[in-house]
Amino acid sequence: MKINGSKAVMESLVNEGVDTIFGYPGGAIMPVYDALYDYRNKIHHVLVRHEQGAGHAAEGYARLTGRPGVALVTSGPGATNLVTAITDAMLDSVPIVCISGQVAAHLIGSDAFQEADVIGITAPITKWNYQITKAEEIPEVFAKAFHIASTNRPGPVLIDITKNAQIESFNYFYKQNPKIIGYKSIPEPEPNKLKEASNILNSAKKPLMLIGHGILISKAEEALVKFIEKTGIPTASTLHGLSALSSNHPLYMGMLGMHGNYGPNLLTNEADAILAVGMRFDDRVTGRVSDYAKNAKIIHVDIDPAELSKNVNADIAIVADAKKALTGLYPMVKKNNHTAWVKKFNDCYKKEHQKIITHETHPKSGKITMAEVIHMLSLKTKGEAVIVADVGQHQMVAARYYKAQKTDSFITSGGLGTMGFALPAAIGAKFAKPEREVVAVIGDGGFQMNIQELATLAQEQIPVKVIILNNNFLGMVRQWQELFFDNRYSFVDLKNPDFIKVCKGFFVDGERVEKREKLSKELDKMLDSKKPYVLEVKVRKEENIFPMIPSGAAVDEIRLE
Amino acid sequence: MLNTVIVFTENKHGILYRIADVFLKRKINIESLTVSKIEEKNMSRFTVVIDANIKTLQKGINQLNKIIEVIDVINTTNDKIVYREIALIKVNAKKTPEKIEKIIKDQKAKIISKKKNSFIVELSGTEEAINKLSEKLRTFGILEYVRSGRIALMN
Repeated sequence: MKINGSKAVMESLVNEGVDTIFGYPGGAIMPVYDALYDYRNKIHHVLVRHEQGAGHAAEGYARLTGRPGVALVTSGPGATNLVTAITDAMLDSVPIVCISGQVAAHLIGSDAFQEADVIGITAPITKWNYQITKAEEIPEVFAKAFHIASTNRPGPVLIDITKNAQIESFNYFYKQNPKIIGYKSIPEPEPNKLKEASNILNSAKKPLMLIGHGILISKAEEALVKFIEKTGIPTASTLHGLSALSSNHPLYMGMLGMHGNYGPNLLTNEADAILAVGMRFDDRVTGRVSDYAKNAKIIHVDIDPAELSKNVNADIAIVADAKKALTGLYPMVKKNNHTAWVKKFNDCYKKEHQKIITHETHPKSGKITMAEVIHMLSLKTKGEAVIVADVGQHQMVAARYYKAQKTDSFITSGGLGTMGFALPAAIGAKFAKPEREVVAVIGDGGFQMNIQELATLAQEQIPVKVIILNNNFLGMVRQWQELFFDNRYSFVDLKNPDFIKVCKGFFVDGERVEKREKLSKELDKMLDSKKPYVLEVKVRKEENIFPMIPSGAAVDEIRLE
Repeated sequence: MLNTVIVFTENKHGILYRIADVFLKRKINIESLTVSKIEEKNMSRFTVVIDANIKTLQKGINQLNKIIEVIDVINTTNDKIVYREIALIKVNAKKTPEKIEKIIKDQKAKIISKKKNSFIVELSGTEEAINKLSEKLRTFGILEYVRSGRIALMN
């Protein structure tokens, strides 16, 4: 079949099962957009209002489907506007395929209009990138791109297509999963290492399991529950591992990290064995790494060999898919329970609850707290909504107080900490799973970073719900300034627009709530809405998020106040 | 410690950029770098000499292995390889050319260009041998000096 490059792009996308893409047209990608016009019945194109929005929407889509999200942009600024989203996907292992137009091959290097060295710019932030200069390269490169983005440790891939390649005709033939000589599939976990790991776990008195994003990516949730219920090992989650294990599970001990739960952080340094699966010992999790888990033998399972012993030295390092590792370990581990050890976590939780949680979620007086909003949302949605959190205090509150009962219920920008992530990512998530309630939780700062995507919401009329937790501050920075910079509030005070008027200007419904007694009703109204809806909640101006491991402190130096 | 990292890759655009970036990102300095094409296999061979502590280097190597086009990475030390560099040295031969010729003979180098006032000397050898020769020639006045990166084979 002889077709032109642009049609080949469409056919390749269809061959990869793509039915939704997020993009923004422009000069150097116009032939592809022209071809897209004929594929409107097969591929739904979501017109974002800024290319960064396309990138994050593709991420949100990928996080819920496990399949690559696709962003389509033009050359030059179109592509450079994607850079933050690509970096975000790189750090959080999110499969996205970004397609950028490029000036015609004969113009490359001439500083042509809207020419940018996109391959050079994105090399450090992509798992793979490639510039297509001839139409005949399209099928193979697309097949490679989708394969690379979605297998092993997932990540972002960028395909740059010169304009001439979009126009030229060639004989199209598509073959999925091409062989890539240097890209090996992940081997089965080594049995002897699993054996060693099980020996450590079987003899441990105070074992602790740490779960991360890898559990969700490999769909290891059931294997995880089976494993911990047999071994009785208390389990804590990273930010990206949230919702992999139901927060109701008696062995779920809470979240790790700087603003995680008290017990999992404190007791990390008391554990004698740590089984870490699908997580990467990020510095927000380890605190001062030289004093991290010094009493524990560390078993680290990750699909990416480069993560093993990168930040924390592993006594047993297992390169494996999380599900395969847990399934492999299962028959080797003894049935056990660690009642006294688990009680320690529960005691820590009681302490945290008394000191912090109860005051945060059930304040007696004063303005609304962020935690009570999330707590109420959690109850009203039975922990079954998809929470898409932006970056800052509200993110930590959402992570701490949304009690996910269902897998894939918490999406956020963890590694890069990208403010402005949540609104477009929530749009992508809703397209991925229209049947699920998707609620973006955003601060007043972050909301203004991709506020233009309200127009996308209005145009698509998909019922994404947005909660703005508005304290008129860049709250997390303000908290640090209060605690570590002697109360010097340097440029964190925001004079905000009237968010609801802004929303209405974008033809998105919204309501503001300031009084506690109205909160429940307003949340119901938001959840009942069949349209996009923004609820702005005016919250306390100077709340601090605790517990907290101060920067540079050890996990057991976690502070409750 | 000096390590020689040999990287086999597909022969594609942009690999040099990605390899250099792995070291750049970790502030690992590249002592020398030689890239050559392996025609018959459509592959490239990178020989990178690195002076870094082994832990840092190992993390870099793990990242090299993640580059899609990288086929194999061998990290090795001087005792396990045979290695060479080439130096070309233009030396002032105005005054005592015969003395220079003797040094060149002793050091197993050769003169590849002879002008009235200067010789160009070639030596293929280890860094040590090249350093030794250049030291000896320095007294006569070195006019220009260039050396290649290392190439190496496993012993």
